[in-house]
Amino acid sequence: MEVISILSEMDWAVVAPLLVIQAILLIVAIIDLIRVDNTHGPKWMWTLIIVFINIVGPIVYFIFGRRQE
Amino acid sequence: MQWLTLLQKEMTENVRNVKWIWVPLIMILIAIMDPLSNYYLPQIIDAAGGMPEGAEIQLPDYQPSDIVMMSLGQFSSIGVLIIALMTMGTISGERKSGVSELILVKPVSYVNYISSKWTAAVLLTLVSFSLGMVASWYYINLLFGELSFGALMQVLFFYGLWLMLVVSLSIFYNTLCRTPGLVAFLTIATIVLMNLVTTIFSHLLDWSPNKIANYIQQLLISGSVPSELIGAAIVTIVMSAVLLIASVYTFKTKDMAA
Repeated sequence: MEVISILSEMDWAVVAPLLVIQAILLIVAIIDLIRVDNTHGPKWMWTLIIVFINIVGPIVYFIFGRRQE
Repeated sequence: MQWLTLLQKEMTENVRNVKWIWVPLIMILIAIMDPLSNYYLPQIIDAAGGMPEGAEIQLPDYQPSDIVMMSLGQFSSIGVLIIALMTMGTISGERKSGVSELILVKPVSYVNYISSKWTAAVLLTLVSFSLGMVASWYYINLLFGELSFGALMQVLFFYGLWLMLVVSLSIFYNTLCRTPGLVAFLTIATIVLMNLVTTIFSHLLDWSPNKIANYIQQLLISGSVPSELIGAAIVTIVMSAVLLIASVYTFKTKDMAA
């Protein structure tokens, strides 16, 4: 119950940008993962990392997962 | 004109490897994290089970300048880390994979090659940083109180110089060694070391680039630019220029070896 009341109290105009940024990162990372031929390490591992680790997952993929080429 | 072509190549590459998407987003994220979490701290404490019976914490009444400093604090830690990781392979990676040889076999001057790399990295960094600070500024005005646009521009300018120095350091190490991981490590190690030296010899190094953030705080509180800030800005620009010249030189001498 408490969680619900907090959710309704929150000002969504303030919090929405955070969620949008997180969503864009996730989508871009997934599209990129599909597009590239190969990554450092298996692709299924990166899929799990991107989807299940908030915000940090996509960033880690962009920095360490992508092959330069 | 060769320089423009090279710059264009860098920009296209940064669009293709989606750096132009994720770096700005991260910068916005780390800039707005602190304004938001501090504003919602009472609710967050409540949601986490609330304070124990009778305990009372007086939450400080934040001024807009405090929040700007918090955002800058995030940039000086996570932001610098992201910049170092993002630029670590820009030259060293190309040398490892042989792309730089493909480019340099044509009559491309080393100066153009290095400076186009540097410009592309600085542009990406500064645009991302500016977007982040504008987002932070938006929340500050919304949640904490008025902060003038002029003050924001001053913060952007002076802190941008410091980030420019970080990029220059990274480019310099890029020409020095071939392993991207080592480049990132050396960049961050150098910044930590500079920080340490500045703290220890604080009374001697009034113009140290590491003090720019402190001077920005003074600037926000007093409203006028402290003279030390001008000095620190000049030192930062000179250091960046020296690093850039040094990287062209090391690249020239080390390129053919190994």
